[in-house]
Amino acid sequence: MASRRIRIAVDIGGTFTDLECLDEATGAAWSFKTPTTPEDPSIGLMNAVTGAAGRFGFSLDDVSFLVHGTTIATNAVLTRDLPEGALITTAGFEDVLEIGRHARTNIYRLKPEPRTLLIPRRRRFGVSERIGPAGEVLRPLDPDSVASVVEKVAASGARACAIALINGFANPAHEIALREALAARAPGLAISCSHEVSPEIREFERISTTVLNALLMPVVETYVEALLARITAQGLKAPLYLVQSNGGATTPRAAALAPVKLLLSGPSGGVLAAERVASRLGFPDVVGVDMGGTSYDVAVIRGGVRAVVGQGEIDGLPVRVPMVDMRTIGAGGGSIASLDASGRLHVGPRSAGARPGPVCYGRGGTEPTVTDVNLVLGRLDAASFLGGEFALDVEGARAALDECVARPLGLDRDAAAAGVLAVVTARLAGAIKLSLFERGLDPRAFALMSFGGAGGLHAVEVAEELGMKSVIFPRDPSTFSAHGILQSDIVHDRARTRIVTLEPGASEAVAALARELLAEGAALLEADGLPAGARALELAADLRYRGQAFELMVPITGDELDEAGLAALRERFHALHRQRFSFDDRAEQIELVTLRLSAIGRLGGMATPHAPQRGGDRPARSRAVHLGGGWIDAPVLQQAELPAGTVLDGPAVIEQPYTTLLLPPGWRMRVAASGDLVATREPAAQEQV
Amino acid sequence: MSRVDPVLLEIVSHALVSAAEEMSITVWRTSRSTTVRELLDYSTAVFDGQGRNIAQAARMPVHLNSMELCLNEIVARHLPLDDWREGDVVVTNDPYSGGQHLPDFIAFKPVFLDGARIAIACVLIHHVDVGGGAAGGYNARAVEVFQEGLRLPPVRIVRAGAMQDDLFATILQNVREPETFRGDFLSQIAALEVGARALRELAARHGAGMLAQVGDALLDHAEAAMRSALFALPDGVYSAEDFVDGDGMAEGRKRIAATLTIAGDAVSVDFTGSSPQAAGPINATMATTKSAVYYAVIAASGIETTGNAGCYRPITVSAPEGSLVNAAFPAPVSMRMLTGHRIATAVLKAFALAVPERIPASYYGVTFNHAVNIRHADGRRQVYFDAEIGGWGGHPEADGASGLSAGFHNGQNTPIEMIEAIFPLRFERYALLPDSGGAGRMRGGLGLVREWRFIAEHGLLNASFDAFESRPYGLAGGEPGRGGRLCVIRDGVVTELEAKTIGFPLQAGDIVRMETPGGGGHGPAAERDPAAIAADRADGYVASS
Repeated sequence: MASRRIRIAVDIGGTFTDLECLDEATGAAWSFKTPTTPEDPSIGLMNAVTGAAGRFGFSLDDVSFLVHGTTIATNAVLTRDLPEGALITTAGFEDVLEIGRHARTNIYRLKPEPRTLLIPRRRRFGVSERIGPAGEVLRPLDPDSVASVVEKVAASGARACAIALINGFANPAHEIALREALAARAPGLAISCSHEVSPEIREFERISTTVLNALLMPVVETYVEALLARITAQGLKAPLYLVQSNGGATTPRAAALAPVKLLLSGPSGGVLAAERVASRLGFPDVVGVDMGGTSYDVAVIRGGVRAVVGQGEIDGLPVRVPMVDMRTIGAGGGSIASLDASGRLHVGPRSAGARPGPVCYGRGGTEPTVTDVNLVLGRLDAASFLGGEFALDVEGARAALDECVARPLGLDRDAAAAGVLAVVTARLAGAIKLSLFERGLDPRAFALMSFGGAGGLHAVEVAEELGMKSVIFPRDPSTFSAHGILQSDIVHDRARTRIVTLEPGASEAVAALARELLAEGAALLEADGLPAGARALELAADLRYRGQAFELMVPITGDELDEAGLAALRERFHALHRQRFSFDDRAEQIELVTLRLSAIGRLGGMATPHAPQRGGDRPARSRAVHLGGGWIDAPVLQQAELPAGTVLDGPAVIEQPYTTLLLPPGWRMRVAASGDLVATREPAAQEQV
Repeated sequence: MSRVDPVLLEIVSHALVSAAEEMSITVWRTSRSTTVRELLDYSTAVFDGQGRNIAQAARMPVHLNSMELCLNEIVARHLPLDDWREGDVVVTNDPYSGGQHLPDFIAFKPVFLDGARIAIACVLIHHVDVGGGAAGGYNARAVEVFQEGLRLPPVRIVRAGAMQDDLFATILQNVREPETFRGDFLSQIAALEVGARALRELAARHGAGMLAQVGDALLDHAEAAMRSALFALPDGVYSAEDFVDGDGMAEGRKRIAATLTIAGDAVSVDFTGSSPQAAGPINATMATTKSAVYYAVIAASGIETTGNAGCYRPITVSAPEGSLVNAAFPAPVSMRMLTGHRIATAVLKAFALAVPERIPASYYGVTFNHAVNIRHADGRRQVYFDAEIGGWGGHPEADGASGLSAGFHNGQNTPIEMIEAIFPLRFERYALLPDSGGAGRMRGGLGLVREWRFIAEHGLLNASFDAFESRPYGLAGGEPGRGGRLCVIRDGVVTELEAKTIGFPLQAGDIVRMETPGGGGHGPAAERDPAAIAADRADGYVASS
């Protein structure tokens, strides 16, 4: 008999493991939360799955699909809990990994900042060979040198080895030969080659990314094996997928070979969810912001699609693989407000973090934070913080604000607090503005979507600062990432780097590259066993004016691989360059540098969730809040009890589990059918206040 | 101190830095030469309507600390501010109009709102070539600035939004890589407009008057922060000297004598006793000298700053006219960077007498700027320009960093693969140089070795190097770092070249090898932690016994 088909997404966070599941037949969706089990996160994962099965009445046999966002790779890098590794590179270039790119960010600092060395000099080995810039062999791979270097790696005690040769992206032959020799001598050693991990020009970035990948292979492999063993032991037969930094899902096997692609797995869940919520509410252009205790992450969704970049950074290390584009600044609830020696007010980037945390947490914090200021101004409720489980010290917060900010500036307490908030608003708005600036986009054309614990207190003010007209608050911020992960599709990114001048007559060269990629992508999706209707192949070209170092990614369709199509592509590039950088240069030639393919296997849509049809019967309550320039009495409502179609005019305080939203005067909030909240600036509402 | 709403001050100050950052991103993403897009040899800043530098994007201190001097000079002697019109761009590269050396083109754009000048945007770019006697501008045989290339007085290259095509064509006709120059210059102009747009929006939002007040307050606060940091230093007069190898013409090293006086909340640095102006191109104009002193004082003061001209107010700089550090027209100046570095290290050495716990031994002492004028077999020409750096000095609490930008320079290296994709060079080696760091309780960072084979038909090598003889000093008993070296290997025969080399003819197959200095050591080597010694051996940072 046909059973149900339940799709499950799990997001493992520091404190909670969040699960979201979907009944594919009915479109019904549920969320579930269990504590994270740091000693082995797969325990928490299975606890969540079995817990949800019990709660929502399905069996493990009904589970059709399990997808999972993981911070296992990220945490291993941040804590440097990585195995000992070795590097094989072209002789004479063993130190490129240590030399890096020279530039420093703190230009007046005299004491060297501690540097991250992923592999010490004693385990970096040079091999005699040389590939030229066009892939030609300048010096053949010397067999004696190969034998000697392979012995050295085997004897070094390394558990992982990166193979990254100069110009290895242009011709993989030597890297492949080295891998074969090394694998034969040292079976079980994790080996990663640069032509596979990051086949692009610039040796330091490619070597460093490959090294990181190699070091993460044993970490992720161990994790994946434990996870699969546990899943199988408990009788779960559904295929397992992991979410990558680009927001696409991949198989555990592929993830274990390319673990560096998991580094933004966690945050990409939030961006996927933002994409989904934006789409169901009909907002194509959205800035998603995630404000937590210490940081503020900004991601851009344009035309319904998340922005992806080719290179990012983790903890000062370059990571050159496709990932959701995210700008992070050090601003959150824990950011400290202080005066410098000259008496200037600053908010952040210093943070009180989780320990000691804000003054009001009563754990020894003495400097006022953004959270303290929100409390002083009644924007946070001392009584109902985290559902009332955690009492906040309002007096302590007031005293700290008085002593550290108000008195030295000669301001009264409310003015000082409002000033701190204005600075925070400006900093958050500045981060969004710069993210959009880099794409030549205008904030006024975007809606703001706020998720993360501290965002709801600031979102509308940030939108106001930027002239944005709408602010979206998703219905379930506390399981938002899991919700996003549930929407992920399988994505294989493939690229070919070959410089082609886009002059008339170039179409055959471009078409030949495209054909290779399209065939490769089709084969990958075939191997995934997806039906033809669920497959999509999306091409894009990285283009630049001749001589530039950076390319702009311009989409191209399979039908455009002729001369007319290339002419249209050139026009799109000129226009995009003008939009981004305020000028174009039609006298200059355009070069194609990389052709990219995303092979996408769509895993099927899901129904939109629904808000309750009738409201709760809790008595209305209100409290004094400093909002829109002064103290006002604002009604306090529970988001979960607001039926679809509800319209609220500011001022209002809306509480969600773990977070609070503020609606200032002049703004109107509507509850969408899905239960998401959409605030808009309303001239009419302004008059009623 | 001027009183401005502290909240508005903080908000506007971030927005001003953002405007400078937006300009910086535009240059980085759209420029054409490896000098700009990979080495990042450019800087951006914002001035208020009166021409005071109120915000900077953190890039090259050598540029940032001299932009205001340049603007002052232009306004005072060439183009009064009131003659600047909306849509104009004023540019100069003249060391005797407030610039430093000819490759650096400094462009300013006044920003207007409702007819009133509210701000000035500035973008400085090091262009890959400026014509003259040597590719890249480093003419080691120049005895007058006229031999160093095209010298552009402050002129309006753009008038009321219209590019002055005749003038631009004249510039392009006089440089070796006109296409690259053109691309980088368009990027410079575009970045100015990006900054102007951001500043107009900011002023429209907060009011042009408010922007002027904020400018006052930002400068006052920076000054106050600087004064309070200087006040914490022990008063006194501290003298120190450092040396450059020479000017490549006359025998003998050149002396930079710095007398630092810390008095209350101000400092002054006087260079009496420094060598007279040199015949060769190692001279520094006051713009270079002040820029180096400002760098050293800000670094030694320990203040955390995003930088603006208020920081400079408590600092006085004096130098004898016609000396190495205050050259008079028409002295050649293309290699002013190497003297500038040693001005900074001399001043830091003086600070080491006042606050020894803060000051490291000398870093590598000079940016290894070099260029090759390339001619291919098919007649095509190219100019390759690059810069290399070395090791940091040992710090009282840490070993020096190896191969990291230091001092008033702050660039990236050019990826080898990028060079090989564009130029006829094939690298043999790019590595740390064992034993180059000065021994000490805290070891100096290592210099680098860079070796490439030339594969085109013909090339002329130019180098602006130093610190071959005048090695980076150690402090508190530490040893100096190893000096630099340049040589060419042809058919196995090694030919040592001078630090200042012009037009050394290269032929296909030649190998050029350069070694940059390591940093000096700090403290007696005998006191070094045995575990650190063992680790240095295991990793081969120290190979000798």
